[in-house]
Amino acid sequence: MRFGPLLATALIVIGLSGCATRPDASDPEALAEYEANNDPLEPLNRGMYDVNNVIDAAVLRPAAVVYRAAVPPPVREGVRNVLGNLRGPTILMNDILQGEMDRAGRTAARFLINSTLGIGGLVDVAAWQFGIPGHGEDFGQTLATWGVGEGPYLFIPVLGPSNFRDLTGAGVDAVSSPWFWFGQGEIVEALRWVRAGMTILDAREGVLDTLDTLYATSLDPYSTLRSAYRQRRQNEISNTGQVAPDAAGSTGFGVGIGVTLPPTTTPQPPR
Amino acid sequence: MMTFPAARRAALLAGLSLALPLALPREAAAQMDATRAVAFIQTTGNALVEALNSTTMSPAQRRERVANVLRQAVDMEGTGRFILGRWWRVATPAEQQEYLRLFEETLIRNLATRLGEYQGVRFTLGRSQQRTEEDVLVTTIVERPGTPTVNLDWRVADVNGQPRVVDLVAEGTSLRLTQRSEYSAVVQRGGNQVSALLTAMRGQLQQMQARQ
Repeated sequence: MRFGPLLATALIVIGLSGCATRPDASDPEALAEYEANNDPLEPLNRGMYDVNNVIDAAVLRPAAVVYRAAVPPPVREGVRNVLGNLRGPTILMNDILQGEMDRAGRTAARFLINSTLGIGGLVDVAAWQFGIPGHGEDFGQTLATWGVGEGPYLFIPVLGPSNFRDLTGAGVDAVSSPWFWFGQGEIVEALRWVRAGMTILDAREGVLDTLDTLYATSLDPYSTLRSAYRQRRQNEISNTGQVAPDAAGSTGFGVGIGVTLPPTTTPQPPR
Repeated sequence: MMTFPAARRAALLAGLSLALPLALPREAAAQMDATRAVAFIQTTGNALVEALNSTTMSPAQRRERVANVLRQAVDMEGTGRFILGRWWRVATPAEQQEYLRLFEETLIRNLATRLGEYQGVRFTLGRSQQRTEEDVLVTTIVERPGTPTVNLDWRVADVNGQPRVVDLVAEGTSLRLTQRSEYSAVVQRGGNQVSALLTAMRGQLQQMQARQ
């Protein structure tokens, strides 16, 4: 997917919009909360959030519901595996840029094994037979490990929660991926759109239950999402605990997306 | 995962830790001991799993059982006050009482309903991590048939000499932090009035009751 026009649009819209009012220094607790939320563009973001909800209710959620109901789990797992495998080169680049050579080695091995034995990434043979679990990585995280701050929080329709750093990262990931440069013609172009569409569908399906629960239980889903996104990114950046799946991108509703752990028992072959 | 000798040692320590608090002076109770926290989560987790996987109880009975376990395990007042944060001091004493009542009711209902779907659930204790002076984060891995495993961490603190849950961290996301952000947003958008939050909470409870 091309992020360039999107990024430009986002920047223009931000430039035209108003900002949230910064609390007075006489109220240190309010100021501390304002800074902890990191959301000076809140009025704009809430507007974008409303736009997203309209699109989500009309298109994305129904599509995810149909996708889950109509496509059997093994096929969906295969789709997620393929999407994850396509992100392989991007993950590898970021592993290297972060100086994580161990993880880079694993990512390279996974990409080679799954692209060949795994039939173009359909089956995660690397995890299943070779015991090499995958992990996510993106340029937003790379920038973070280089000490770049996240910049103001952003909510982008369809893409979901993000910030200036992670959105930039998503753009860099997109244009540095070999799939951006490799091949031309109508078929390749069509495949790019299929990939973009499936990425959104897979991600939305992955958070179907989580978001349903969140919208049903939260008194202000916007701020719950903001808090959850920022905590999750913090975890991903420090590479602690849970491992984000390969298919997970840098922006979006990653809340509870099929997080996998290193297998504790003998892994079962995919059904 | 624990190896066999480590598991035995842990069991032994857990046994000891049950006996020790009786012998120790009360002042020592302010710090949370990791082994004690793990044993507490083990007990609470087993009680929850037993209730959730029971085949003899109706869904309503299961929910009630789960609610009872949670009422005993969670530090309702401390967690509720943490989540209201800076607005606690803004609230009148009557609002504080009302808030704590609504908070407990909402939390129990939310968790009991959510956990109620966890049929066939299994949990494994991960390694525990001492995080701060006051509390311990006990990691568990929750497995349900047909869904990806979930990392669920329990923050356990010492409350009046008893171990109590003060936070749940699902896949790295702290429930009390997200909820504090949520409640504060509701107060601020309601013109910095705690009463706006109480109204919203009451409405939510009514909706939940209507759905059951």
